[in-house]
Amino acid sequence: MTAADVILGAQWIFLAYFVGINLGYLAQNVIATMGIRRYLQTADQFEAEGVFSALDIPISVVVPAYNESASIITSVKALLQLEYPDFELVVVNDGSGDDTLEKLIEGFGLQPFPEAYRARIDCQPVRAIYRSARYRNLRVVDKENGGSKADAINAGVNACRYPLVCVVDADSILQTDSLRRVVRPFLEDSRTVAVGGTVRIANGCTVRQGFLEKVGLPRNPLALVQVVEYLRAFLFGRMGWSPLNALLIVSGAFGVFHKETLVEAGGFNPKAVGEDMEIIVRLHRLMKEKRRPYRITFIPDPVCWTDAPETLKDLKSQRVRWQHGLGQCLFLNRSLIFNPRGGAVSWLAIPFYLIFELFGPIIEVTGYAFIIISAFMGWLAWPEAAIFLALAIGLGILLSTSAIMLEELSFHMYPRTRDLLLLYLVAVLENFGYRQLNALWRLQGLFRWWRGGQHKWETITRSTSLADN
Amino acid sequence: MLAWLFDTAYDTEVRAALWSTVAAGAATVVLFVYTLGLRFATVVGARRRRHLVARWRGIFATAILSRGNAENELLPRVRRRQRTDLLEEWNRARDTVEGSAAGNLIILADRLGFARIARELLRSRRLSARLLGVQTLGHLRDADSWGAITALVASPNTALSVTAAVALAEIDPARAVEQLVPLIPQRRDWPRTRVSRILRKAGSELVSEPLYRAIRSGDEDEKIYLLQFGPLAEAEIVDALCDELIRSTNHPGVLTAALKQVSGHAGVPRLPSLARHEAWYVRMQVAKVLGRVGQVEHVSLLASLLDDPEWWVRYRAAQALVRLPFLGPNALRDLRSRQADRYARDMLEQAMAERGLA
Repeated sequence: MTAADVILGAQWIFLAYFVGINLGYLAQNVIATMGIRRYLQTADQFEAEGVFSALDIPISVVVPAYNESASIITSVKALLQLEYPDFELVVVNDGSGDDTLEKLIEGFGLQPFPEAYRARIDCQPVRAIYRSARYRNLRVVDKENGGSKADAINAGVNACRYPLVCVVDADSILQTDSLRRVVRPFLEDSRTVAVGGTVRIANGCTVRQGFLEKVGLPRNPLALVQVVEYLRAFLFGRMGWSPLNALLIVSGAFGVFHKETLVEAGGFNPKAVGEDMEIIVRLHRLMKEKRRPYRITFIPDPVCWTDAPETLKDLKSQRVRWQHGLGQCLFLNRSLIFNPRGGAVSWLAIPFYLIFELFGPIIEVTGYAFIIISAFMGWLAWPEAAIFLALAIGLGILLSTSAIMLEELSFHMYPRTRDLLLLYLVAVLENFGYRQLNALWRLQGLFRWWRGGQHKWETITRSTSLADN
Repeated sequence: MLAWLFDTAYDTEVRAALWSTVAAGAATVVLFVYTLGLRFATVVGARRRRHLVARWRGIFATAILSRGNAENELLPRVRRRQRTDLLEEWNRARDTVEGSAAGNLIILADRLGFARIARELLRSRRLSARLLGVQTLGHLRDADSWGAITALVASPNTALSVTAAVALAEIDPARAVEQLVPLIPQRRDWPRTRVSRILRKAGSELVSEPLYRAIRSGDEDEKIYLLQFGPLAEAEIVDALCDELIRSTNHPGVLTAALKQVSGHAGVPRLPSLARHEAWYVRMQVAKVLGRVGQVEHVSLLASLLDDPEWWVRYRAAQALVRLPFLGPNALRDLRSRQADRYARDMLEQAMAERGLA
């Protein structure tokens, strides 16, 4: 085999990858657009209903907290104000090293409560359970540090009393009607076992008393790029898979589960780096193994706002972790890959994630390296290279433009036209440097998964946007 | 330059890439312009709606308060492009009123020809327009549209079908309930909140008989589903039906559903045997019933459930015990100390703490 053969072979691999990933994204785009239109056509009817009765499903909201002393009081106060007829709040202090528990005890008048706790899902031992004297629906579970958010969530699920469990990050900013929106798929379809909603970037927004007051765009360029990235990921990434019942991830920042199914699945995996994705893929596996009809649904409503990393260090750490988690999750649930009974999950979603999301960075980074080496060696046919580069960038911009269009079509959360134009500018600029950097970090994540690694609580430097103002 | 780029000397794949780039660029520009158009339409639409609402809200308020005024008032002309917004606003106003005020709004709508507009909307291909049409015809109590709306109840689209059901109940509650109740177990996609709202609005006198018949004639699965709407029927009828079901069936799901609905004021049959039922959720319901209507003679039965293997049964039994009005804190402490089982003691302690009796 000559060098020319190798180069030609590599070119065909890059081309096949390129065509495959873009066709996949375009298909998701079309499905998502149709899904969002259908969803919005009926949303008003459900909004108008606005009437709850004893038939609504009560929800247990589980908030895992580790060293959240700075924000826990504001977060819990905001959660207590959620508009929903019947919900309880279970905060889990995962053996914090700071004064998170003391703050909770003082802030909410907590008193030790002799609860007959039952550990249906394995987790680290519970030290004590507290109940608020002021808020009857607030309990705090204080447990030994389990080293992971998953372990804390499992302890919380054990203490839950209601049929639906909503898992919320302590630093998530919700909308007052988030629960009401996210419960809709459970009311519409009794086969529903998990529901996720759109997570948006909170940086640049105005937050008061833990609730979002005014939507704005961040000034930090890294956070700004992530706004477009999140629009892409949620509005067509997840909305594209949901109608096929092949959604593989419900964001850990805010997701609702049918409790008994979650318990049956064994709860969240404390060893999983991406516990939010792993539990969803495992639920798919469980339901398919048991041959039970089920739905895992995504709603496009913006239900949760979260802080995005604003430094390269934090962003890199997050992306490396996500890729590590993806590899681990697909490996743990590998029996689903091309499983004859797996439907769209086994034959479309997982292969797509495996080829384009997990191993994609290898092709992408090799491609970049190939171009650079070819240029140095004088192998590169510049006009052809320029055409393919323009196509790659053009399709990238097209996908981002489409995501911004879906946002405008649905929720138009960014009311200023200036913001809209800024998002378009970002959609163009992110293709020059940011995407390449991301591919490099994802490749690192892939290597980290290959080498193996343990999960631990992740902390990022907070932007000032989450401070009350 | 462009002529050079599009030179046919290139390989097929390069030319394909080139044309794809052009197509992607064109699609991006189209989407960009479309999005800006959407933004423009949203801003203009919102402004137009504000003006429309400001103008018509007063007219609706006048109509609600006074029939005479509404009839004599010279009404503004409704432009075609305003129809949807106006109908939405009218429906919003109509949702807030009942009785004569609703009648006045309907008279106003008749003058404006809303029924004709709504029937036109019913034929639209857009789902949102059809939904608005059905909702309006229901609010207008338009009996002439009964057939058309009945056909929509069978629609596989949940929103359309359930909105049609609501509309039927507004037009003729008695006839609608007779027609809709047997459909409820088949339409599990109808949100239960909406079904309960339809039944509640119709009233327990109209609901009781059709619901009773549907439960009695349905299979076990249908019985279970329909029984949850029991509170919307007359209490005596539900009690009699639940009593009959508890005596006659051993199906755990039906027993649970019936135990949930039975008031128990006239006594509940088979309680001691059901407290030993193999399904834990039946035992749990027994504890809950006794929490509502338990007498002194039931204390030992409840105490026996405190060491049940299932956590929920123990919890509900403990809750039932602490709710019994004749058991004071001392009696409860005494009962707790007499429990040989540690789980039973822990559970009673938790239930007492919940009531502030620990």
